Amino acid sequence: MQSGVGMLDVQQCSKAYGPHQALDAVDLEVGAGEITALLGRNGAGKTTLVSIVAGLRHADAGRVLIGGIDASTDPSRARANLGLAPQETGVYPTLSCRDNLRVFAGLAGLGRREMRVAIDELAESLGLTDLLERRAKELSGGERRRLHTAIALVGHPSLVLLDEPTVGADIQTRAQLLRVVRDLARDGAAVVYSTHYFPEVAELEASVVILERGHVCARGSIDEVIAEHSVGAVELVFEGPAPDLERLAPAGAITTSGQRVLIRTNDPSSTTAAVLAGLDNYAVNLRGLTVSQPSLETAFLQLTEEPATNTIGATAYVA
Amino acid sequence: MSRRRISALVGHEVRLLTRDPLPIMILVVFPLLLMSFLKPTFALALTAHGYPGANGAEQVVPGEAVVNGFYIVGMTSFAFFAEYGWNTWDRLRASKATSPEVILGKALPLLVVSIAQFLIILTLGVPLFQLHSRGPFLALAPLVVAFATCLVMLGVMITALCRTIQQVSAVAMGGLVLFGALGGALVPIEVIPRWARAIAPVTPTYWIMRGFRSVILDGHGLTAVALPCCVLLGMSLVFAAVALRRFRFSDAKVSF
Repeated sequence: MQSGVGMLDVQQCSKAYGPHQALDAVDLEVGAGEITALLGRNGAGKTTLVSIVAGLRHADAGRVLIGGIDASTDPSRARANLGLAPQETGVYPTLSCRDNLRVFAGLAGLGRREMRVAIDELAESLGLTDLLERRAKELSGGERRRLHTAIALVGHPSLVLLDEPTVGADIQTRAQLLRVVRDLARDGAAVVYSTHYFPEVAELEASVVILERGHVCARGSIDEVIAEHSVGAVELVFEGPAPDLERLAPAGAITTSGQRVLIRTNDPSSTTAAVLAGLDNYAVNLRGLTVSQPSLETAFLQLTEEPATNTIGATAYVA
Repeated sequence: MSRRRISALVGHEVRLLTRDPLPIMILVVFPLLLMSFLKPTFALALTAHGYPGANGAEQVVPGEAVVNGFYIVGMTSFAFFAEYGWNTWDRLRASKATSPEVILGKALPLLVVSIAQFLIILTLGVPLFQLHSRGPFLALAPLVVAFATCLVMLGVMITALCRTIQQVSAVAMGGLVLFGALGGALVPIEVIPRWARAIAPVTPTYWIMRGFRSVILDGHGLTAVALPCCVLLGMSLVFAAVALRRFRFSDAKVSF
């Protein structure tokens, strides 16, 4: 790798499927030892981006540099040390786990001894040691998912692309996979991690890139994305028409709709206290209270044009 | 091309084949079963067409080996389509392996299987069906290698041209019956209509059967199989050229 260059540098990458623009001038930079979480709704362009980086699809425009090498002019050298776990589980069902790993270790250029060590180490970290001689078709869904990810990692790649690796995985499998991904980054690999599970992003301490309809609509650390794109909310539900609470919050922060009042705020706790104190006689009509803290999820929902719902707020119902 | 990667792919394909050995066993068992009851019919046909001392094995053993050898065409194509079905095709594409390495890694083991199938059937044909050759058996070796190459290349070409595994299955089975009948492998070439005999040379089966007959029935040697071998290798080149031109590794194909 050339010094001073990110392990992965995607520049102005665009891709269309007929009239559908899957990616539009997307930039993405991931350094060695860094984990970048790709977030986005289904169809936002995450898999297309991963596929272009992996060389499975060609971009209509833009460049992909891997370790400073242009993947369009020298694809085999650029992708010589890349590990991919596609979205769909891809394993050889009639082969043992060891044989599944062996073929990709061989293709990555590992010698016989190196291969044995790599397979044993990886199996141990992913809880596959006792399953190595078992055929993949005899594994449970979670075990198969671990094998699927292990295949991507067996060649000691310096760039790892994991496309929703924890889909359908149980809690133990998810914990093992996340630990392995963290270890990978600690050992210097650059990781692109596409997911729909927001707690995983925090657990991985990943930087965030949010894609929406083929555009990058936010990027940065989790805190930066929250600070820039998320506001909290306090929602009150009354019996009968909602009172006028304009005096309790800045102008424009309140939306009243029938029995409901929604107050957008960066400090939901203080706002809640102020509102409850200011309700006066209307307090007896209060039937529900929902508090949503600013979070990655609310930032995501706001960026991807979903209405600001209160999915993760603490809700209190007043009898 | 990397020898290490090709050997990794060859080893992998061998493991896949040995984990599911039934198709390979059928390649040998099927023709032997068919030979046991078709042999007397072919004895009569060969006697009627100028080979008075023939016992039928001279036609039925190589003929059934050729007809059933055609299964390799489908097996070659299935080896690629299975990767789509298992979602491992993209993994291979994202690996260091190049397209020619993947094709070679898949084709080489099947080429060996095809050659082994012929060797086993021809060898067992001697004690089981009293197959006698007037010419040297060794002269059959280049024919077998050329025909096996042709079948495997045909399988790769079909993979390149077909979008679904059902298409592969239909083309491979249709080819087996049509080429087997036209080329004089299912029945002696003398018994098929004249117009069919006129177009028979477009089939690879015609050329291998012509080579087999010139050694086994007519007692010729290596020089007699030179032309059939050259034609078969030429056909292999054509199939390979079409495959190279049409094979798009990025094409989406539908497996089971």
